[in-house]
Amino acid sequence: MAGKIPGGALPAAVGNREAVAEQRRRFIRQDFMLVCLLFAVLLLIPALPFVKGWMAAQAVLVIVYIIAAQGVSILTGYTGLVTVGHGGFLAIGAYTAALLSKHFGADVLICVVAGGAMSALIGVALGLIFLRLSGAFMAIGTLGFAFFVGTIVNNVKVFEGREGISLPPNHVFGLPIGDIGFYYVAVLLLGLMTLFIHSLVRSGVGRALKALRDSEKAAQSYGVNRWFYRTLAFSISAGITGVAGALNGLVTRFVSAEVYSDIWYSVDMLVAAIVGGTSMLMGPFIGGVFVAMLPFFLEKLADFSFILKGAVLIAILMFAPAGVGGLIAKPFQAMRRRRLAEAGARAVAGAGVAESVAQEGARNG
Amino acid sequence: MASLLRCEGVTVRFGGVLACDAISLEVEQGKIVGLIGPNGAGKTTLFNVLTRFEQHDAGHIYYRDRLIDHCHPHQIISFGVARTFQNINLFANQSTLDNILVGAHRLIGNPFSNLYSLPSARRNEAALVRHAMEIAAMLHLSDALDTPVRNLPYGYQKRVELARALASRPEIILLDEPVAGCNDEETAELRGIVQRINREFGITMLMVEHDMSMVMNVCDHIYVITFGANLANGTPAEIRANAQVISAYLGEQVEE
Amino acid sequence: MLGQQIMSGLATGSLYALTAIAVVVVFRNTRTINLAQGDFSMIGAFLALIFLKSFGFNYYFTIFLVVVCIVALGILTERLVMRPIADSDWLTLFTATLGVYYILHGVAGWLWGRDTKAFPVTFDPTPVQILGTIVSEGHLINIAWATGIGIVLFVFFRFTKQGIAMRAVTDDPETAELMGIPVRFIVMLTWGMAGFLAAFAGILIAPIIYVSPQMMDEVLIKGYVAAVFGGLYSIPGAVIGALMIGVAENLAGGYLGSHYKTATAFAMIVALLALRPQGLFGIQKRREI
Repeated sequence: MAGKIPGGALPAAVGNREAVAEQRRRFIRQDFMLVCLLFAVLLLIPALPFVKGWMAAQAVLVIVYIIAAQGVSILTGYTGLVTVGHGGFLAIGAYTAALLSKHFGADVLICVVAGGAMSALIGVALGLIFLRLSGAFMAIGTLGFAFFVGTIVNNVKVFEGREGISLPPNHVFGLPIGDIGFYYVAVLLLGLMTLFIHSLVRSGVGRALKALRDSEKAAQSYGVNRWFYRTLAFSISAGITGVAGALNGLVTRFVSAEVYSDIWYSVDMLVAAIVGGTSMLMGPFIGGVFVAMLPFFLEKLADFSFILKGAVLIAILMFAPAGVGGLIAKPFQAMRRRRLAEAGARAVAGAGVAESVAQEGARNG
Repeated sequence: MASLLRCEGVTVRFGGVLACDAISLEVEQGKIVGLIGPNGAGKTTLFNVLTRFEQHDAGHIYYRDRLIDHCHPHQIISFGVARTFQNINLFANQSTLDNILVGAHRLIGNPFSNLYSLPSARRNEAALVRHAMEIAAMLHLSDALDTPVRNLPYGYQKRVELARALASRPEIILLDEPVAGCNDEETAELRGIVQRINREFGITMLMVEHDMSMVMNVCDHIYVITFGANLANGTPAEIRANAQVISAYLGEQVEE
Repeated sequence: MLGQQIMSGLATGSLYALTAIAVVVVFRNTRTINLAQGDFSMIGAFLALIFLKSFGFNYYFTIFLVVVCIVALGILTERLVMRPIADSDWLTLFTATLGVYYILHGVAGWLWGRDTKAFPVTFDPTPVQILGTIVSEGHLINIAWATGIGIVLFVFFRFTKQGIAMRAVTDDPETAELMGIPVRFIVMLTWGMAGFLAAFAGILIAPIIYVSPQMMDEVLIKGYVAAVFGGLYSIPGAVIGALMIGVAENLAGGYLGSHYKTATAFAMIVALLALRPQGLFGIQKRREI
């Protein structure tokens, strides 16, 4: 049915290709090792002497921001759609988890999975409703969604509005876990989310999303079904943020409309994603820490935290549009490109592109 | 020879403007067909209709004699219809390799297995990367595989566009002004590549082009369009000698 | 009763109208959603308060001063923040205005504190009777100003050479520049205009909703929604949108409870966007398959 695979063209270049492919694989392994190292460090932190219990809870809140930013970055960074309403998914995740914990005594992992799944499901619906929106219109639509969720949790009986729902102590597989235990669960989830995103970005699906972002027309020409992929992106993005929401609700053991109908969370998540770098794996980590720690460090000077947030945001946009993550990664990316080019040039016995061209010429006659 | 792509009486109106007026053309399998005409003649509109980005107001389009009037833009690639763009429509911030890989998107299989990197998907991915790298090698792009395409010279970008089209294992490629903005050297290179793709892999082509050295030397058959309507069609020799065509171009050089 | 609610709704809606118009103007000319629009008004309101109370200036002089200041603020924002990133994508511009919003919020809170302050009322507080309904004079002034400015701007953009030039800049900046239209000057003018509109909005709203750093948050959001109603392109559309939101809000507040007011505005816009992605009066994209 289709044309022949253009292959077997340049035997002399095979050596090149293998070397380049090997170098690429090496880089992927390096990335993986780095991330493993990071997580090893995270897991070992509680063992340090000066670390107290409450720090674990605070750390979990930071992790919540990171995961939420990861959710936003899927939509904003990799698919190119603006969302100012992910707080809605945070709420959905939190309340799903809360209700399961309170009324069914479900354990943490089940609550989190359920929160994520519920979010993802609603994400599908939202993706379909907003299928034809873009840019500013999408922003308003998602903002509307956040407001809508906020209004529901404020007024529908079962969610207990501003009074909130207090949750029983957390447990996993029947064993009660305290702050430190919960911290480990959070780190585990962060690891899973990161692994998932890492795999997504490198996959064909990830390429399709990025293609849609960079040029919708060209992407469609090559078979990327806009409806399917946009909805998928919404769903994945929602699900991840839903997981963050579930964690948030469970770690504080309290969910109330006061927190979850506040649209500033949505904006904060967007800021976190952008400051860290929207299409980088490390972006949400940096951005999440920045946004989460800001109120912590500037407690008394709340006004200054606003000013700082604004100033940092503008500075990033002006000088480092790829976020802080992009800034840090640039020299490494350049170095890697050089290495790959060198690998390609490190040809077999002097045969290089020049020789291949000569061979082609001979063939064409 | 089998008729691959055919349109009959395609008419497109934009408000009061008649962009295409009952245009018909046919592309036979294995041939390189040219579509020429003065600027504003409606060629790009026709291209957009053929690739389903525009909807025509009258007429029909067929692929292998199958009506495709209501296909969505993302569906025609599954028949084997690929296209390149006039002003380069690459994914600017992504690498050459990634751009070519997107071309092979329709070959990724089940998106969910791909998403979760299941073993079958991983094998498939590896095969696709090899496939992409081979195509890149054939088009002399091996030294630019990891460079973001926006940093590449114009000639390279043109070849990446072609590589992307090839990656989809097409039966036919629609080329929108493949050598626009190219100097003589780049034009000659692309000409060679186009001919090679056609002869070695049997890929059919329909190209819109202004550069006569490209059209007259490469095409098996040429359609001429003016003011949105068919003017003439025939072999390059016939078109060169056609008085109406010559006058339509008003003294423009149709030699070589 | 219904008539009263509608009238009150129109009054409320008129508060959003000037902000909505400003959002449309800035977006049309620069493809930027100005999230700081509300805070421009907020700063204007604070300045007016200071001029009136602390300096004891006359009301009309205050208006003049505030307009000058906020126009300057708008132009300053354009110069310092927007111009360096003028070639960026939409999200970057949007987020930059968010940054300006945060900064203005923080500065206001730091300089003047976060609590709510009353604004001296300069019009007759006794309500006026119109068409069998009761409206406060303050609201009437708002409606009058919003409509007036809306009409003036509409005529300006549609029919005057300068207005058409400004629209050309949105549609095709490169060609506009080639044709001798001073694009950068027009962009600066646009932000100045945004400041002008913001100053009026702030001064007119302050007596009604009191002055605080967060006073314009809701107004901005609703102004934004109203602007989207008009497809982010049409000034009359934005005004109509603002009025419709005001009415819908009030009706919802009356029948469903005040919790649902903002949500109603959003429900309307989401429903509209789902059916008509380009808003009520927006430009329709080329027929897609």
